[in-house]
Amino acid sequence: MYKYDHIDQTLVDQRVTQFRDQVERRLNGTLAEEEFRPLRLQNGLYHQRHAYMLRVAIPYGLLSSRQLRTLAFIADKYDRGYGHFTTRQNIQFNWVELEQTPDILAELAKVEMHAIQTSGNCIRNITSDAFAGVAADEYVDPRPICELLRQWSTLHPEFAHLPRKFKFAINGAKEDRTVLLCHDVGIELQKNPNINNGELTANIYAGGGMGRTPILGSLIKKDVPWQVLPSYLTALLRVYNRFGRRDNLYKARIKILVKALGPEEFARQVEGEWTQLHNATKQGKDNFSQAEWERVAKHFTKPSYKTLPALSDEQLQSHAESRLDANEKIAFTRWLERNVRPHQVPGYAPVILSLKPHGTAAPGDATSAQMNAIADLADQYSFGELRVTHEQNLVLADVEQAELLNLWRAAKNYNLVLPNIGLLTDIIACPGGDFCSLANAKSLPIAKAIQERFDDLDYLHDLGDITLNISGCINSCGHHHVGNIGVLGVDKDGEEWYQITLGGDQGNDASIGKVIGPSFYANEIPDVMTSIINTYVEQRSTDEPFIETYRRLGVIPFKEAAYKNNGKHSKGAAV
Amino acid sequence: MNQKIIYYPKDGKPNLIANEWQVWDGERDEGGIPDLEHGFHKVLVPFHWWITRYKNADIIERANKGEIGVWFAADDDILKHSEIIEEGKSFWPVIGAHFPIFRDGRSFSTAALLRDRFEWQGEVRAIGDVLIDQLLQGARVGFDAFELRPDQNLDIALKQFDLFSVVTQNSWRDQRATIA
Repeated sequence: MYKYDHIDQTLVDQRVTQFRDQVERRLNGTLAEEEFRPLRLQNGLYHQRHAYMLRVAIPYGLLSSRQLRTLAFIADKYDRGYGHFTTRQNIQFNWVELEQTPDILAELAKVEMHAIQTSGNCIRNITSDAFAGVAADEYVDPRPICELLRQWSTLHPEFAHLPRKFKFAINGAKEDRTVLLCHDVGIELQKNPNINNGELTANIYAGGGMGRTPILGSLIKKDVPWQVLPSYLTALLRVYNRFGRRDNLYKARIKILVKALGPEEFARQVEGEWTQLHNATKQGKDNFSQAEWERVAKHFTKPSYKTLPALSDEQLQSHAESRLDANEKIAFTRWLERNVRPHQVPGYAPVILSLKPHGTAAPGDATSAQMNAIADLADQYSFGELRVTHEQNLVLADVEQAELLNLWRAAKNYNLVLPNIGLLTDIIACPGGDFCSLANAKSLPIAKAIQERFDDLDYLHDLGDITLNISGCINSCGHHHVGNIGVLGVDKDGEEWYQITLGGDQGNDASIGKVIGPSFYANEIPDVMTSIINTYVEQRSTDEPFIETYRRLGVIPFKEAAYKNNGKHSKGAAV
Repeated sequence: MNQKIIYYPKDGKPNLIANEWQVWDGERDEGGIPDLEHGFHKVLVPFHWWITRYKNADIIERANKGEIGVWFAADDDILKHSEIIEEGKSFWPVIGAHFPIFRDGRSFSTAALLRDRFEWQGEVRAIGDVLIDQLLQGARVGFDAFELRPDQNLDIALKQFDLFSVVTQNSWRDQRATIA
């Protein structure tokens, strides 16, 4: 993985010094809270419901075991022994003290980490495919571009006070695992022999996002050579910085600007700006150079894979047969099916460690003991590296297939092998009202109640792929708009209610879910889920996933089922 | 107004100098630029005021003496008025760009455009709600003078420019640091 050079290291070290001074000025009263707020946010420091929360960047989701051990150390020394992995491939600590944050940042800097721009109205942590570099369906490894753009965006002076937060995602595989179209800018990398002499190019999508007004991004520029991404993205952000709305917080995202202008007009304005930037005065000085590419890309070469035979699932199971009892066999088989993915290299597999134990911890939470254990597993089985998925799980990307059983046994001790990846209980959830001061309602008890209701793994496996996403407020940190089933916490007259959306999807057929009607009380949600799921089971064709059944039948049968018993409790019109 | 500004020329060091320019908001216009505070002859007028008056003989006369500059509001679309700006470049010793509130970054792009697109070589001054912690960004996008909000500590402000010895993107002031 990427190793900091002295430039990167100097920058994060000096950033710690800068923030230490800002905190001191805040504490001695020379910097007002109102004026400190954007500064601390640009260093990932929120003031939450009960305490300060620090969000640490994990650029494009890639972590070393050493870094994870530091995160565990921070959790123990400065927090309450756990951290929360988020949908933006960051980690959050929920209970830090303002006075200690410079020390935490200094600890992070020692292992090439930081919290720069994990919040605030600036370019946020750039996310990508958690399976980058190993996915069997990948045509371009996106990580060198992710890293070059991480550097370009870090403390970018012109875009330090944008109208609102700004999120990039970058994908280079056939299947989109980045929710590309729900980002302010989605960068789709490709290599086509007929374009740019077969060199890397990017298609640029802009104006996607969730939140109050969910919109899928529009293609605004095709085939941008990778070298000119700095000037093209500068032009794009400059148009947004100048003309994005600042009068209304809820209308300030780029999606509103793109929608108001129309994608064609937005693209024309960006093109106009870019032509000037690129051609007139700079003579390509902003371009990424081949030397920069080589310096960065050399860190993303393949690890020292052995030459191994590719094993089929049947071979893996029969290999494990003699070493497992009957119950274990079922569990291991399910795990192979749900938590192990295809790899580019024969004999290897990426493995997803589930951070969604049923009903016992918040989705995405990991204790320091788990973090240390996972770091050990990464060292032993996966070249000392791991990844954070946007579904809030962790991935060991390079496990020898022959070691899968040993890994499974070891990870089982830390409650990390629940074979529910992609199933109904692999819930994405924001921290919600238990922690977040923005939330209108709690997310975590809803996730817990649903996991408790659907605790039967046989049944879950029978149901197959279903995504269920929960957000505690309209900001949509839990990505409820793109869950096949979405739950949104809403506030009505000081009471917590939950609104259901259906039909959202991530991936290549990304879609925004539709609200089915009036919202429900928290204690109604498990029954509502049961009704929706039963409708699916009754109506599905053989092997038809939930989303396909929904698309075939539309919302009505699901809606009728959801309200058949619960209508009397529901309140008001949809909001 | 602040009696002192930070002046940080592109190839020089940041230092405090006396503020010679009074920012006029364009209000209370009774036929021309009003009387200024005692001792000040130089005034930054709003661009929207300039574009309706700059052909007047009295304005040209004062501009020719180097006593008039303009300032852009955060929502001025300077590209829409590029011809007037190109003409104005020969009159103005100083261009201001205004921050209505410190967390409004539009004037960063205005400064970048003045340097990149208009190739303005003169002073670009940050005015309005300018705070210590915006100085670094401002200095990099094209500002070389800062009239800080009067409550800001100028000693702390001057130290900001030494905080970083590396940058990772090109700007008006520096090329990004590279190993290769």
